[in-house]
Amino acid sequence: MKRKGVRKSALGVFRRSLPARAVLFTVLLSGAALVALGGFLAYSIGNGLYQTRLQQSLSESKQAVIEVQNTFSAASVTDDVALQTLMNSVVPKLESSSANQSRKVALIRSPGQTTTVILQSPISAELDPSLIPLPLRDKVALETGKLVYQSIALPGVGSPHPGLVIGSAVYLPIAGNYELYLIYDLQSDQETLDFMQRSLIIGGLFLIVAIGLVSFFVTNLLVKPVLIAATASEKLANGDWTQRLQEKGEDPTAILAKSFNQMADSLQEQINKYESVSKVQQRFVSDVSHELRTPLTTIKLAGDVIFNSRDQLTGPLNRSAEIMHEQIERFQVLLTDLLEISRYDAGAVNPEFESVDLNGIVGMAIVGLEPLASSRGSKIRVDIPSGPVECEMDASRIERLIRNLLANAIEHGEGRPIDVAVGQNKASVAVTVTDYGIGMTEAETERVFDRFWRADPSRKRTTGGTGLGLAISLEDAHLHAGWLQVWSEPGNGSCFRLTLPKNHGMTIRNSPLPMPPEAPLGKNPSPKVAEAKA
Amino acid sequence: MANKILIVEDDSQLSEAVGLYLQSQGFEAFYCPDGGAAFATFNEVQPDLVLLDIMLPIKSGLEVLKEIRAVSNVPIFMLTARTETEDQLLAYEYVADDYITKPYNPPVLVAKIKGRLNPMKKPEVSSDFVQIGPLTLDIVGHEVKRGDEKILLTPLEFNLLLTLAAKPKQVFTREMLLETVWGYHYKADTRLVNVHVQRLRSKIEDDPDNPKIVTTVRGIGYKAGQS
Repeated sequence: MKRKGVRKSALGVFRRSLPARAVLFTVLLSGAALVALGGFLAYSIGNGLYQTRLQQSLSESKQAVIEVQNTFSAASVTDDVALQTLMNSVVPKLESSSANQSRKVALIRSPGQTTTVILQSPISAELDPSLIPLPLRDKVALETGKLVYQSIALPGVGSPHPGLVIGSAVYLPIAGNYELYLIYDLQSDQETLDFMQRSLIIGGLFLIVAIGLVSFFVTNLLVKPVLIAATASEKLANGDWTQRLQEKGEDPTAILAKSFNQMADSLQEQINKYESVSKVQQRFVSDVSHELRTPLTTIKLAGDVIFNSRDQLTGPLNRSAEIMHEQIERFQVLLTDLLEISRYDAGAVNPEFESVDLNGIVGMAIVGLEPLASSRGSKIRVDIPSGPVECEMDASRIERLIRNLLANAIEHGEGRPIDVAVGQNKASVAVTVTDYGIGMTEAETERVFDRFWRADPSRKRTTGGTGLGLAISLEDAHLHAGWLQVWSEPGNGSCFRLTLPKNHGMTIRNSPLPMPPEAPLGKNPSPKVAEAKA
Repeated sequence: MANKILIVEDDSQLSEAVGLYLQSQGFEAFYCPDGGAAFATFNEVQPDLVLLDIMLPIKSGLEVLKEIRAVSNVPIFMLTARTETEDQLLAYEYVADDYITKPYNPPVLVAKIKGRLNPMKKPEVSSDFVQIGPLTLDIVGHEVKRGDEKILLTPLEFNLLLTLAAKPKQVFTREMLLETVWGYHYKADTRLVNVHVQRLRSKIEDDPDNPKIVTTVRGIGYKAGQS
């Protein structure tokens, strides 16, 4: 599991980082090239060394063989003792044991001869005659007068040393055919070769690291402008319209910067245009609303005078007074909402943050809407933690928000129960209001916070919301740096969740309460579960 | 006898509608259409309560408030347009008893007027003098003294201080204070209490930013003395 994670993250690095990928490929490719080159070099150097040494040894051996043959031929020995003495004096001279060149020698009687003179073969000390391969001895016997050679392994300290045996037949008076073998120890050449190979490997490794570093720097150099452009476009996408790139030089990076800046300019222009249009609209709504206040107040006052005296009016006049009263009331609520949202648009909202128990706020909101709920046959079920749920907020705004969510739940709840839950974790508090009524489609849910938007325009309006309630609620939530989220499904109901940071200025990471689809609808979301999660 | 209400409002129809409504509720209404004549009308009528628009021709409502406050402690309600300047208004030097924002609900207006006109139930105290910190409250003389130095408080501020001082250990929520001091028996804007407590502190505390006589109980309300 863990290994998989590590592999995943390593893969992630390569997927995300262009330099990492470039470095990896450069190192792999140059590594392969270096291995091929190194192999070739090692082989040709080794071969060259061996050939040189072979030629040298052959010519030395030739010299030695001729010398020995001449010595024996010129000697006028008559008995085997003299011959033995001569042999013992001539042969060991051929030995040498300098540091970089050790040569051993053996003079062995060729097998299968009829002469009866048997002499003791002079053989270098530390030389095991059985090291001389039999095939080579056959060859020496066959090819008289020629030098034959073969590579052999000599016993050495640690590992066997590479060696070379060069042999030739010599003819000894009285004694007959003998074979002269010269054994060369090539260890010093092997050591030279080993050293060169080691140097090649170390040098190659250094080269690979150097290539990796160089490719890293070069890729970074090339990627950096792209990264800067990417960061700038991300900021631009997040609404920072002042993002621009430095236009320097005439390379492709500069072209990228130039076109990026042009794009940002035209975007900013468009946005400014829309913003100013939107500002004008907001301003218009605000102005209209403000202008309507005095006439509406006047109408309201006069209407209330009539309404309060409706007993003196007969039939249709009496009913008209009632209708007028209700509609003025509705007009007033609408205007109040319009003025409120205009204040948000103008950025003129000054909330008063205060540490309050959210349970109390929820309780007050429920008390206020209990009559409406019971008139619709909806039972409000509450699940709140036993202790206080302290949170810094503008209490009147949050109470209004929760009342609003409850009113919506009652209106669309079809008389089924409504669940209200409160929860908290270390950094945040939350309220969910869930109904099991008609619900909304996905497209409807997306628009639910839009101003004046109604789920179904043909549906009868009963509780007489203004259509601004959820828009204001969302503004209230944003004012607190909180979240207001909705989940809904046609026929199954809706769930609204408000999450607020416990202290003003804190950031919410996760909500203490689950909401559908993560918590299946119908199960009362339990704050205990949420606390365990947090 | 009917209580006299002076309506200072430049929109004549609104003014008349307010008057008609108040009359229907048993008040006597008097009108003044601009800020210039407001003070003279006030002296002439001697109303029990003033409804004062802020946007007035000739002289602004705040100027008129200042003039009237200089000579009288009569309850004054400012009629405000709920705009960006509202919070600045609340911090204004001369604090009205309340602010009524348009469009308002007539029954709420009347309830507020009745609350302010009917004197609050005096907190039960055993003597005529109440001591709170370095201050002495003279209940009969409606006076506050720090040693021999007299501190000028509006009746509202005096009642606020007295309510808190009469039960020095009790914590009062803003709603409780709105009910006992203002006489409001329904939900009203609790910020009104904050503003008046601030005004009171600026008059009685040595360091209003670090109050010792009227202290805030975080998340609940206010109390007299230090916790």
